[in-house]
Amino acid sequence: MMKKPWNTGLLFALPALLVLSALIIFPLGYTIVLSFTDDFGQYVGLRNFQRIATAPVTRVAFWNTIYYVVVSIVLQVALGTAAGIALNQKFRGRGAVRALVLIPWIVPGIVAATTWAWMFHSEFGIINYGLSEAGLISGPVGWLTDPNLVLPALVAVNVWKMFPFVAVMVLAGLQAIPESLYEAARMDGATFLEEVRYITLPQLKPILSSITLLLLIWGLNGITIIYAMTKGGPANRSLITPIQIYKQGFEFFRFGEAAALSVLFFAVVLVFVAIYVRGFGRQEAF
Amino acid sequence: MTANGGSPRLVYLIAAILVCLSTFPFAWMLLSSIKTLGELYTVPPAWIPKVPTLANYWNVLTVSNIPRYFLNSVVISAGSTAIALALAIFAAYGFARFRFAGKPFFEAFVLIGQLLPTAAIIVPLYMVLSGLGLINTWLGLILVYLILTLPLSVWMLIGYFSTIPLELEESAIVDGCSRLGVLMRITLPLSLPGVVAVVIYSFVTTWNEFIFALCLANDSRSKTLPIGLSEFSTEFNTDWGAVMAASVIMTLPICILFFAMQKLFIGGLMSGATKG
Repeated sequence: MMKKPWNTGLLFALPALLVLSALIIFPLGYTIVLSFTDDFGQYVGLRNFQRIATAPVTRVAFWNTIYYVVVSIVLQVALGTAAGIALNQKFRGRGAVRALVLIPWIVPGIVAATTWAWMFHSEFGIINYGLSEAGLISGPVGWLTDPNLVLPALVAVNVWKMFPFVAVMVLAGLQAIPESLYEAARMDGATFLEEVRYITLPQLKPILSSITLLLLIWGLNGITIIYAMTKGGPANRSLITPIQIYKQGFEFFRFGEAAALSVLFFAVVLVFVAIYVRGFGRQEAF
Repeated sequence: MTANGGSPRLVYLIAAILVCLSTFPFAWMLLSSIKTLGELYTVPPAWIPKVPTLANYWNVLTVSNIPRYFLNSVVISAGSTAIALALAIFAAYGFARFRFAGKPFFEAFVLIGQLLPTAAIIVPLYMVLSGLGLINTWLGLILVYLILTLPLSVWMLIGYFSTIPLELEESAIVDGCSRLGVLMRITLPLSLPGVVAVVIYSFVTTWNEFIFALCLANDSRSKTLPIGLSEFSTEFNTDWGAVMAASVIMTLPICILFFAMQKLFIGGLMSGATKG
């Protein structure tokens, strides 16, 4: 039944493909055009690229982005995998615990951001209160205003938000591991940690690698938490490249430079994804 | 599988920590939303409000623009979800049931749409939409959100359609049913759980979307809830009670949707989750 009409299938798919092209290919092409022109549509060669690439803030934003994305992913995967393995153990109330752990992931990003901003509040925030009661800090800490603390604080929120997703996916992956592997290991007298080390983690590798790719993409798109909590401040210490693009375009109205930065950003993302997919084998990339 | 667990006490301890970590901010948001000003701004903080108040909710619902933003969000999310679903049903059927020239290329194209860094296209999208007079309109955001909803809808539905046995469709065709008739009368009804999952996914994604809305909707006629909420909390004198109340209002539909559909949505992923 699948043999004859080559064009019926295309006909079914065509409307969606046209809409996607109009919404993705066209803007991408337009970005490239914009990046080579000034506000009046005149061709200016590489001037936009030169300006944006030499601006000190671009380098700051670049390293902030790398820090934010890489540290977030490492912690999300570590915490999420541990949580997934823990939630796979048999214990009473497991269903309820599994559902409750999903809350950070379900809550809208902007809600997570505002709630954590309130918890991080330097005077009335519950976090400063808790830490000073425990004797860990002597005075109020400005989590979102201290240049050295702002990125780690934002990473913490990001990790909190996404680790349940990793946990759910790991939990799903665990169901697919054949029981016989564990039985064999137990015959050989393996401890729980040895089972995790030599069976669970290697078996989870394919699913972890596709999770990581998704986390990478989402992390690079993840403007919500940072923008809502600090807008990139203080003094650009939490500025990431997507926010810089937004500011160039919609606060300073330098569309040419914003477009040039978009092109650079897109190129760097492509390189990262390509390296990743090549490095981890592409068959399970989502 | 069942690993031979560590000590059961350790498992309970870890589970307790995970639950606290996950639910505390959410609980704190709920508690803060029903506190009076005095109880919000005290050291040490009041854990449970002595005189719970709905004044924050009253403020949000009567004084602020939040109800209007709520309406905008509902219309935009529902509109984009519906259009994406309609387009995706046909596209996914085409991909799942036919061979045609360039199919792998088109499939890859749909998939790559999902991987696009959104920040890279906000500037041209803004210019195109303003050229079309669609800035600050529902339609503008509905169309742009197809970038987020359409690729994954297609991809998920291909998966569901592929699980429907071909024989069912073949016998319908033998009985004189058209391809379109087969899709509408057989494949689609049998894939209903998949369709529900796609609807929930699309609705939640667009409901939470931030950066497109930030750039493409600048006035109260079209601003969505996430933007309204971010403005609330970045004004100099933040009314944290109202912010927390607005946060609860925004989270409520998502939570209801999610827990009502949890079994369907996570589907096989969490098999046995509710049985414990």
